[in-house]
This record gives sequence, C-alpha cells and structure tokens, in this order.
Amino acid sequence: MKSMYEPGTQALMEAVAQEASQLKGSDRRDFLKKGLAVAAGVTAGAAAPALAKGNPADMAPNLPSWTKQLGRGVVARPYGRPSDFTDLQRRTVPWLTASPESSISFSPLQDLKGIITPSGLHFERYHGGIPEIPPESFQLMVHGLVERPLIFSLEDLQRMPSVTEIRFIECPANGGMEWKGAQMEALQFTHGMISCSEWTGVRLSTLLDYVGVKPEGKWILAEGSDAAGMSRSIPIEKALDDALICYAQNGEPLRPEQGFPVRLMNPGWEGNTSVKWLRRLEVGDKPWYHREETSKYTDLMPDGRSRKFTFVQEANSVVTNPCPENPIRQKGFIEIEGLAWSGRGSIKAVDLSFDGGVTWRKAELKGLVLPKALTRFSYKTQWNGEPWMIQSRAMDDTGYVQPTLAQLREERGTNSIYHKNSIHTWNVHANGEVHNVQIT
Amino acid sequence: MFKLPSVLLVAALTSGSALAASEFGRPATQTEIAGWDIDIRPDGMGLPVGGGTAEQGEPLYEAKCAMCHGSFGEGVDRWPVLAGGEDSLMEDKPEKTVGSYWPYASTLWDYIHRAMPYPQPQSLTDDEVYKITAYVLYLNDLVDYDFELNQDTFAQVEMPNEASFFVDDRPDVQNTRCFENCADPEALQVVGTIGGVSPTAHFKEDSGVAASHYGDSPAESEEVTAVSLSADALAGEATYQQACMACHGAGIAGAPKVGDKAAWAPRIETGLATMVKHAIEGYQGDKGYMPPKGGYTNLSDEAVAQAVSFMSESSQ
Repeated sequence: MKSMYEPGTQALMEAVAQEASQLKGSDRRDFLKKGLAVAAGVTAGAAAPALAKGNPADMAPNLPSWTKQLGRGVVARPYGRPSDFTDLQRRTVPWLTASPESSISFSPLQDLKGIITPSGLHFERYHGGIPEIPPESFQLMVHGLVERPLIFSLEDLQRMPSVTEIRFIECPANGGMEWKGAQMEALQFTHGMISCSEWTGVRLSTLLDYVGVKPEGKWILAEGSDAAGMSRSIPIEKALDDALICYAQNGEPLRPEQGFPVRLMNPGWEGNTSVKWLRRLEVGDKPWYHREETSKYTDLMPDGRSRKFTFVQEANSVVTNPCPENPIRQKGFIEIEGLAWSGRGSIKAVDLSFDGGVTWRKAELKGLVLPKALTRFSYKTQWNGEPWMIQSRAMDDTGYVQPTLAQLREERGTNSIYHKNSIHTWNVHANGEVHNVQIT
Repeated sequence: MFKLPSVLLVAALTSGSALAASEFGRPATQTEIAGWDIDIRPDGMGLPVGGGTAEQGEPLYEAKCAMCHGSFGEGVDRWPVLAGGEDSLMEDKPEKTVGSYWPYASTLWDYIHRAMPYPQPQSLTDDEVYKITAYVLYLNDLVDYDFELNQDTFAQVEMPNEASFFVDDRPDVQNTRCFENCADPEALQVVGTIGGVSPTAHFKEDSGVAASHYGDSPAESEEVTAVSLSADALAGEATYQQACMACHGAGIAGAPKVGDKAAWAPRIETGLATMVKHAIEGYQGDKGYMPPKGGYTNLSDEAVAQAVSFMSESSQ
C-alpha cells in the first residue's frame, strides 16, 4: 500500500506515536497535538483537515496498518490500561484549596457510561495526602466500650464473612461551589465529587458483634492512619445497619487513593464519614466533636445557627448528555442521559424538563436500579436547534423529590457549603453548545 | 484418611455462621491502645496531664504555625483563618474561625495534636499542644495571655458559638412531582456563570493548560521550566512538587519562592552543600523555620538534594 505521506513524514508520525505511547493523560494529548501539527506542516496543507478526523491511509478502501501487522501479545501489559487513544482523567480546580495534599479531584462524569466508576477515575479527597501502607503492617484496633479490645490484621478481615455491594460515595461539598451562582462551565466540576463502585468487605456489625459492644456504647470514632488522622464520630445505629469495613473495590484491592488496604464505608452518607486508611474504631457513649464534624462538615444556616451530623446525601440528579463537555453535535435523534442517586434508598423515578421547569415528562431508568447507588436514566427525543433549558428531577423510594434551587436557598441561604442537591439546569444554545445556568 | 469425630462434626454443622471467640484478631494490649488512642472529647476525656500558657505558646506558634495561619491567625493565601470573624455568621461572607464558629475547645487540642503542623503531624509534645492551643484561644480573646491551660482548667474555656449547633433535621424542603404549569415561564430568571473562575481551559483545544495542572499560573510554570536544568535538578522536580511546593511554590513561611532570583541569590552563594545540609537537617532562618526535609522525613537525602538542585537552578 502506498502512503499518502512523504516517507519522511511517515517516519515522523511513527516516532510521534511511539513517543506518545510512553506518556500519560494530558501530556500525551498535548504531545500528540503538537506532533500532529508538525507532521501536518511537513506535508501539503491539504492533509491537515483529514488528519483531524482520521488517517485516510487507514480507512476504506485502504487497509489500515494494524490489519497488516501483528499487534501486541498477551501480558505485554500485565496490568492493562486504557487505550492510548482515550483521555479520561480526574481533574481538579486549583484555586479551591491551599495545597494538593489536602484537596479534591473530580470524576469525569461526562465521559462515563453505566453506573460503575473505573477505580482510577474515582474522585479523590484527602486532608493529608495519600499514605502508602504495606498491608503486612496494617492493623485495625477496635477498643473502648467493648468486651474484648482486639487488633485485626488484613488477613483476619479477609477471612471473616464478607458482602459485596454497589454503592456511591459522594462528597457533601459536591455542587457546593454553586450556592451563590453558577460558576463551573463543566459537568465534571458541578457534579464530579461522586463516584460509584462495587465494594467488598466485612459488615461493621459483624465486627462489632465479634468484639461485643457494651450497652452504653452509642457512638464509634473511626480514625484513619493518614497524616490528617482523619476522624469522624459514627452513631451506633449506622454501624449496626449497613456500614462496611472494605478491602476491595471493583474486584481488586482498594486503590491507595481509596484507602488501601482498608477503609470504612457508610453507604449513602457524606463521603468524609467513610474514613480511609482505617486504623482504629473506638466505641464510646458520646460523639467526639472533632474538627471534621464541627469546623467542617456542619451546615451554616441563614439565622447563624448550624446543622451538625448532616450525614445523609439526599436525592440528586444531573443530565450528563448533553452537558458543557458534550455539546449536541448534530440535529435529529438524541438520547438524553443522566445520573440520579439517593443516600436514603433507591431511585424511584426521574423526570425531565426542557423548558426550565414549566413542564415535565418521565424519563426511563436504565440498567441496574440499586439502593444508594448511581442510577442511570434515559430519554430519547429529537433536537432541531431549538434552545433548551434541560433539568432533571429525581424521586427516591421514600417519596422525597429533589428540590429546586429556589426552595433550597429559601430554607438554607447560600452559606451552608454542603449538601446542595437542587435541580440543575443546562442551557442548550441553537448551535448545540451547552452552558451552566441557574433558574430563579 | 482424616476422619472427624462425629460429635465435632455435629457441632461444626449446627454452629452455622457464628464466629468462634478466638478465631479472628488478637487482644490489644493496654500499651498498644495507649500508643494510638489520641482522641480528645469535649468532656475532657483523653486530655493528657500537662499544660502551658498563651505566652509560652506564642514563640511556638510563630515558628510552627504562623507561616500558614498568619501571625494573628488571619490566614495566608488559602490556608485556614483561625481568629476573628465575631458576629459574621449571618453576613454574606461569614468568617468561620475557632472563636466565631467552633463549638468546643477540645477540638482544637485534638486537631493540633493529630494533624498539625501540616507537614509534620503528631510531632508536638503534649505540653507544646497545650501552649499552642492556649495561644490560638488567646488570639480569639477567649483566654488571657497568662492563662494556664491544662487538663483541669480546660473546662473553664467557654466557646461563644457552642449553643448554635443543632442536629440534622432534614428533609427540610418538600418538592412535589408536578408535570404541567409548574412554574410561570414569564417569571423565570436565567443567570449564567460568573466569568473567569471556571477552569474551562481544561476543555479547550490548544489552551496550553494541562488538565491536572495545580498551583501557579501557566506563565510562571513556563518561566521555571524554561531554564536549562541539570540531570539532578530534573530528577528533583517530582520531589519538589510533592514535598516542597506547598511553601516554596508560594513563598510562604519565609521560604524563598522558586523563581525569585533575589531571594535565592544569597542562598545559592552559600553553595549547594550548605543548602542541602539545611534542607536535610532543618534550618532557622531570619524569616521562618525550615523543618528537616520540610517535614517529609521519609524522603531520602538524595531526593532532598535533587529537589534543592531543582529549586535553586530554577531560581538563578
């Protein structure tokens, strides 16, 4: 087959591809862009537009290069990684926090399908960086108001009866940058502090039953071994209900970012309570009122008072297609998709509005509908260039209906930082661009 | 062939899922528990014997805290503000400080002890924690300069905002599942984004901003990388980003800012060996204190030396 490029250019392109395969994420993307620009510059200008959409040399009627040579063999990558032609990544908002060890990154919801977040794309929140913990040195101490204070090894925990459940984890600050106004032109930043995984571990109730909680034991302090010594007080009711001591996520050991080797998981509750890099559980008769349940993770109300122990993540939803990162590229058929979730239980229904909340119609729930898990919804329709104000509204199986922004602001003002779960609006313009707006 | 006595077999079958008492874990000794049980409660549970005054805490605070929190607790850059903000909780921009917001003084002792100073957690002695806690309370006008804070006097500290917290009473908002005429289309106000704060550059072609970029503006970063660096310095960049940038990137705590030629010149004059020695062993400068290895004591000496090369070569 004859290449449409000069031999020199072909070699240059191969060199670019070779070098790019060594790079990761944005570096690779930037590099490819620059490399392709150079290659395009070397050949006649006419090649440039074709390059942007694919290499004609690899497209019908030509036989592509990968058809005429062998590809990689097995175990070339013992632990596989995404295709070099994809570019999914967590991103952060640099001005949010003072330093990267105590900061947050967002899951790319705009790029994901289904309800499971790939482990490497789970949003991150640390208060003192990610510790690297050798599993053989891991210990979980359980003490306080218990009959038998014990230290468990990872092996102990893995031998105990286990459960596996699909559950979301959401930072209560998800959406919190928008209490006072729309400011993030990206779904990743308006809603990306949520991820959903399949978690495996031991029920905390099994562990507590085993050590024997004394009758006066009403609260449990969960403490991490990270540099922040993250600590939260958990009511015994939650501990005996569905809390999990997790050691696996999506079938493999927890990622370091998610608490390797062991984390606590409080399904449906604000992510901060699911303490990572867990080292200690102390049973007590009262809450501890540590920094992350007083100074932080309390919700300031307009009258100057503050809600405390605002654990549950109330029902919420957002449209993921279209969104600012996924504009509508052509008129005609479009499947509106989105995600809904509730920390109180299962999603029962999701409704959509295209006119900013004046009229609503029912969307379908798509795939698995599980309690305290991301739930995907869908609505198939046509778009013919008319401006849309798309909103989604979730209802959970307690009958709770996701509120409007006006309702939330009326009750809570704009300074409570956490738990902003109001109906979100995307404005679709006639050219298909999508912008973040608020309707009041 | 291995054969179970029938009585054991019956026991095993009938016990079902019950876990035998000694099968998992091992007893935690008092010494082990004492080593890890660091939590403090508002009722004083957990407070160790010890004490100190705000006066004694002042030099410690200046050396270990002021670089991020400011000499008066006013906060540097985006690091937390510790003092002030009285009566601000109902304002547009409430200032939630130890004095204006925190309900319990025990939280301060517990947090300073478990997580501060930020790069050197759990490095303070109990007496140092009492002294610094007393000083932060003093910055908030909650105790006198000579007040001795100890396990017995702790209960005397009154926090002004304690009574303002109430237990979660959500759901607080009731929406309904309306389908027609749910809002007045004439009355809808549509408000777009506030310009200039959303990092949309991440999504624009050729913006030149890496998606994972953190910290300084792209222009400053380019300035740093435009310098031609030695192999050592290049090897030190990752360590710099992980361990040094928090202070040396922004120039806080008297740390010479990377790229600030004037600040680095006198240091570079002392020679690489001296700079590396100070970075490894710690150094009390005129404007601030450099903790050994910046508090990242798990770093190898070589990694620290490479980071010093990176910072100094990027600043000349």
